[in-house]
Amino acid sequence: MSERNHGASVGIGRIWNWRITAISAVILLLVALIGVSFGPISLNFGKILRTLFGAPGGLSGQERVLLLDLRLPRVLLAALVGAALASSGAVYQTVFRNPLADPYLLGAAAGAGLGATLAITSSGGNVYGLLPIFSFMGGVLAVLTTFFISGKFFAEPNSLLLSGIAVGSFATAIQTYLQQRHSSALRPVYSWILGELTVANWQVVRWSSLYILSAIAILIVVSKQLDGLMLSDEESFSLGINPNRLRIIAVAAATLATATAVSASGLIGFVGIVVPHLVRGITHRVTNRSLGAIAMMGAAFLVIADLGARTLLSPAELPIGVITAFVGAPFFLVVLRRKRVSS
Amino acid sequence: MISVQDLSIRASEKLILNHISVDIPLTKWTCLVGPNGAGKTTFLKALLGLQPYSGSIMQNGQEVYRNHLRNVAFVPQQPQIPMGMTVAEYVALGRAKRDGWGKESLKSRNLIYEILLQTQLFGLHKQHVAALSGGEMQRALIARALAQEPEIILLDEPTSALDLHHQIATLNNIEILKDRGVTIISTMHDITLAAMYAERIVVMHGGRILLDGPAASVIHSAELREAFDNRINVYTLDSGRPVIVAAKEDRV
Repeated sequence: MSERNHGASVGIGRIWNWRITAISAVILLLVALIGVSFGPISLNFGKILRTLFGAPGGLSGQERVLLLDLRLPRVLLAALVGAALASSGAVYQTVFRNPLADPYLLGAAAGAGLGATLAITSSGGNVYGLLPIFSFMGGVLAVLTTFFISGKFFAEPNSLLLSGIAVGSFATAIQTYLQQRHSSALRPVYSWILGELTVANWQVVRWSSLYILSAIAILIVVSKQLDGLMLSDEESFSLGINPNRLRIIAVAAATLATATAVSASGLIGFVGIVVPHLVRGITHRVTNRSLGAIAMMGAAFLVIADLGARTLLSPAELPIGVITAFVGAPFFLVVLRRKRVSS
Repeated sequence: MISVQDLSIRASEKLILNHISVDIPLTKWTCLVGPNGAGKTTFLKALLGLQPYSGSIMQNGQEVYRNHLRNVAFVPQQPQIPMGMTVAEYVALGRAKRDGWGKESLKSRNLIYEILLQTQLFGLHKQHVAALSGGEMQRALIARALAQEPEIILLDEPTSALDLHHQIATLNNIEILKDRGVTIISTMHDITLAAMYAERIVVMHGGRILLDGPAASVIHSAELREAFDNRINVYTLDSGRPVIVAAKEDRV
């Protein structure tokens, strides 16, 4: 056999695409710097960097507090939530072989919504202490229920989707009933549903990063094998995969990331669908081959969206979900249209 | 030898495979024939090791169920088409078991190049799999199986969706595998073609094995006719090859 690398000429890319991953990392860093810099009070780039690296000549006084205690945790939380939603969306789309699958599909959103509503209606004052715990539990419980009632998961992924829809509707019904009974809760529940990052602080960043980063790490480790789940079970088994075990690992990790994201920031739509399709549109590659890039682009997307939420109506804030849908929906249509024209 | 003993498979209440026992020789081409619903595809999935069964299927002294040590390629009748994957990447999946997922070695890449040439997919290799025609998709499936360098290849109706030209091209590609010492087990509804290529034919009907033996003797047997409810006729061409055609009933 000749020494020449014919493989390169037939275009078998390495599954791990370093170039797009590196570009995404640079974009994320730039966007994060812009995110901490802009706001009602603008901070100087150079001074931000000097403060972060502990060099002399950094920010001082109120500006320092603004950066370290307000903007930085908020930008980090936006990045974590964006990464969680985008990578779980990409994984769900592969596992369920459905390009429109989104991270909220298995009842995580509705369950978390019910949990949040319970927290808001049952606690008078200290909502924010209970809310993340309740919504996290609600999301995880809803997904577990979905798994439990969908006995045929192993044979038919679609039955899991249908169970997710049923569980979601049930949780939403209870949530609506609770809201009717406690009309004072309508406004806070509604604003939570639209997504908000106003509660960001270091404590939230710490616990959510623990769950989200470990979930994404698991997803990246299994992402190479996820190619096999795009085939039939017989084919993937013959290629050395245990399809059901891989599905459970992938869905569990994606659900952990989603439930954490939802409980930290409410329901932020469109990230989980738009970002994977965007990266796939740019790279022309199978989604799971650039999962790291998708996570970082999701992070960058949400940091930018949050910047818009903070500044567009400054000093008032827009719910971030409004921004992601407002930007995401038309953008999505443009990508779809271009894709159709080019094919 | 793959030794099948008292194999039964049940789906809900129905017995798909009913206590079958058969020996399948290695490095030969064995073809499972029989009408729809005979249990051929289920038998193939059991031989793959994915389908739970009662009884035993032993290969080299080991039960095949969930045995990932074997290298068995599977060519389905209707493949699941992956989104956004190119033909070259699709064929490269065949190397995953040897090299690890996403780690195609230089040797593998060169092999894939040769397989793409051999299966006439070179030139289409940067196209998305979803854009292939039926015949091209079948070639891509065979190419992936070739890349897998399997000890056994299981094919479910490999020629069913193809015109005669592509049927012969596909069967010739499978024959190349057999010449390399790979064991071929296929289902095929066209018994004439099966008799042309396979060395051994297993006739199935209603979850049982009616007959198994060398292609030539099976083809002329009464059991074969029985499996198809006496609705076939067997003729022999001048070349000695048998031809099986549907027996048209005369209307009175």
